[in-house]
Amino acid sequence: MFLRLIADNFTRRPRRKFLTAAALSLGMAVATAALSVSLDVGDRLSEEFKSLGANLVVTPEADSLPLEIGGVDFRPANFGAYLPESDLPKIKSVFWHNNITAFAPILDLRVQAHRYELPVGTPVGPETNVTLIGTWASHAVHNSDASSFVTGIKNANPWWHVDGEWFDENKRECLIGTDFAKSQKLKTNDTLYIYAVSKTVPVMVELRIAGILDTGGQENNAIVAPLMVAQWLADEPGQYRKLYVSALSKPEDDFARRDPRTMKPDELERWSCSPYVSSIAYSIKQVLSGSDVRVIRRVAEGEGKILTRVRTLLWLVTFATLLAAALAVGASAAASVIERRTEIGLMKALGAGSGTVGWLLAAEQLLLAFVGGGAGYALGLLLARFVGTKIFGVPPEPSLLVLGVILVLAAAVTLLGSALPLRRAARFDPAPILRGE
Amino acid sequence: MADRRSANRSMFWRVLRRSVFANRGRLIVILLALGAGAAITAALLNLQVDAKRRITTEFRSFGANVFVQPVTNSNQEGALLNQFAAALILNGPNPEPVGGSAMLYGIAAVRRKAAGSIAADTVETPVVVAGHGDGDLLESGTFKTIEKGPESRFSKDPWMRMAGCIVGSAVAIQRNFHVLDVMELRNGEREVDCAVQEIRSFGTVEDNQVGMTLRTAQTLLALPGTVSLIRLRISGSPKQIDHTIRFLQLKLNDNQRSLREFSARDKTFWARYGNVSPEAMDKIEARLSDAEVRPVRQFTEGEARLYNRISGILSATVAVVLILTALCVMAAMTNVAMERKNDVGLMKAIGGSVRRVLRLFLAEAALLGLAGGLIGAAIGIVISIGLGKAVFGVAAQPRLIVYPISVALTVIVAILAAYPLRRLVHIRPASVFRGEE
Repeated sequence: MFLRLIADNFTRRPRRKFLTAAALSLGMAVATAALSVSLDVGDRLSEEFKSLGANLVVTPEADSLPLEIGGVDFRPANFGAYLPESDLPKIKSVFWHNNITAFAPILDLRVQAHRYELPVGTPVGPETNVTLIGTWASHAVHNSDASSFVTGIKNANPWWHVDGEWFDENKRECLIGTDFAKSQKLKTNDTLYIYAVSKTVPVMVELRIAGILDTGGQENNAIVAPLMVAQWLADEPGQYRKLYVSALSKPEDDFARRDPRTMKPDELERWSCSPYVSSIAYSIKQVLSGSDVRVIRRVAEGEGKILTRVRTLLWLVTFATLLAAALAVGASAAASVIERRTEIGLMKALGAGSGTVGWLLAAEQLLLAFVGGGAGYALGLLLARFVGTKIFGVPPEPSLLVLGVILVLAAAVTLLGSALPLRRAARFDPAPILRGE
Repeated sequence: MADRRSANRSMFWRVLRRSVFANRGRLIVILLALGAGAAITAALLNLQVDAKRRITTEFRSFGANVFVQPVTNSNQEGALLNQFAAALILNGPNPEPVGGSAMLYGIAAVRRKAAGSIAADTVETPVVVAGHGDGDLLESGTFKTIEKGPESRFSKDPWMRMAGCIVGSAVAIQRNFHVLDVMELRNGEREVDCAVQEIRSFGTVEDNQVGMTLRTAQTLLALPGTVSLIRLRISGSPKQIDHTIRFLQLKLNDNQRSLREFSARDKTFWARYGNVSPEAMDKIEARLSDAEVRPVRQFTEGEARLYNRISGILSATVAVVLILTALCVMAAMTNVAMERKNDVGLMKAIGGSVRRVLRLFLAEAALLGLAGGLIGAAIGIVISIGLGKAVFGVAAQPRLIVYPISVALTVIVAILAAYPLRRLVHIRPASVFRGEE
């Protein structure tokens, strides 16, 4: 009888039920969309932070102090220490290798450059002192398990714009900074004659200008060439001076800032199993012997701060949304009970107790909540997909957790919304209601 | 005629009043749904405007995003800027807030002085000294403090503060400097003593520097009245930053001539202040160069991307939430409106024209929408102030324009929600009274 009453109610007044369910599912769709987007936003945004460049820098531990002003190192030539390039594949073997998105070794040195005119075959124009930066453009790093990973300065510093083409690592090519190009009146496809006194022997090389580089920084006044060219000019085969690493990391909290040397074993384990930028730095230091890995604070800390803020903001917006959706849905549920006063009166007149009437209505509302909540979840997922794709190009992962939260919320809200009018209805005397008063 | 019209009107209002207040339960439900909708509209609209602005100020923790430097293609060795360029940029009225400080870089030899049981260093190490101008140092969040001396000792004693140095972590490790060590910095004949006030790790070139006040650096390097670079932080949206950069460049261009030389009075002042001969002052003056305002692309581009993403998420979330909230409220309201079938039937039975009945219901909806909107929007603005405080630590500024917008939206939603009643006016009163659908 109980089930028949419920079924009857749904089939006999489909439009009214449909409206309540529509309000419910729309409210739950809002909640689903907001929840899905805010659950996903952390991961998506931390990928966006890669556009700020590397957050870790590796230098030789035993290095002398660089005397760098405005991108020019004033140390005497060949002063300072180097790190072996052959160790670099080890970076992709650390525990956090999936978090390391890009890295690029740097070897810079002071050289003299002239424009070189091919038919004549002699350098023309005054020679200029300029910094030559050797690095990888996009270099395939071969791992021990035969897989390879393509990385380089193109990935590590995405704000580097090249007018023309990037140099080919296997050719004698280079990029020159816009300011250098302007002051030396150089253009793409010109040939540069580079001369460096490294150690004792003068070394020279001809480089074709593949493109003009604009970084908005000190590189605008420099030459960027394949790492191999720089190693040859510096007479330091297989060596580099500095390594920039971009790693996806978790914003640092107080625990992350502690010194790993002072931690207890279980704390150390927890620390090294969280992708804090400092624990990633620690694991890189362990595979690159003789290196010093430092966190680029302005990138790493700014990242953490902004990520935390945006995440809190979205959670609060989500919470406010849930609240408003709950209120609107509750109101709808309340309305659907209020309008049934006559029915309640009739049931009570026929001998139903307040409890039975309450159960009947609650069961009905719950059924409605599950149907409406389920529909709302589906609708919300579609919306979240649309929003996610529009903003990040990637839809957020549908999460079962959200479905659970939504169904519980829908049930709680409809029950709460109907509870108040139900209690009032229970107190009514059936007679005046049936008389229509 | 006039009497009938005024009688009609007073009847209209009486019916309206009665139908609004007749059923208190229903009134509460309607106000709850509309108020919740209005509250969330007002809160999100207010927060959205404010949050975008706040996010751009959060970008401060990335440090400087704009440099003012000597024109790079001047080909002038050791080009410097007049110190007044900094005052011109930082103090003037600017379209967006501009913070930052002037910097002077040079190389000096550093040596530890004997103090108590600590022996003096026997060797000097060349190191980059960086003079920081007054004003906002833009450094919070760009470094991690490794060691810090007792605050009181330095901040209360003006002399100590003047010659207190902030030592980069690489310098400290290399020379084994600790807080309270006294260093002697030497540049030719000139010597300055300073106490290590703090050791900081930046992860950038600042790690290799000894930071001091601009005045100390100018005296040590014998370059009074000059700076090598002005580091700026301009906050605002990417467009506003662009505009401010152009504005600053124009401001510098307008004052180009006065920045290329020192006035006679300044020259005497600087010479005495920096302990420099008038002839040396002429040489310094010859090195003054035109200034150029350049965005640091790494940060301006990265920030622009982040800003667009974050404001995209916010706008999309807010838009989706607002649309769905409106639909949800509308569904709830329609549900309430549908139960008024009996009233419509009765009104038609006693001779109400279709237009008048409809007008009555629309007026009721508009009235309720106005009431719900006024209450809800006020609550929403209070909520958004609280949300702003929770996320950014600063209360969101209430924007008055948000209030009328959310009230108007609520009224529109309420009227649209009453619209399905239009169908009810086609029903025959008799069938309603007979209880037929």
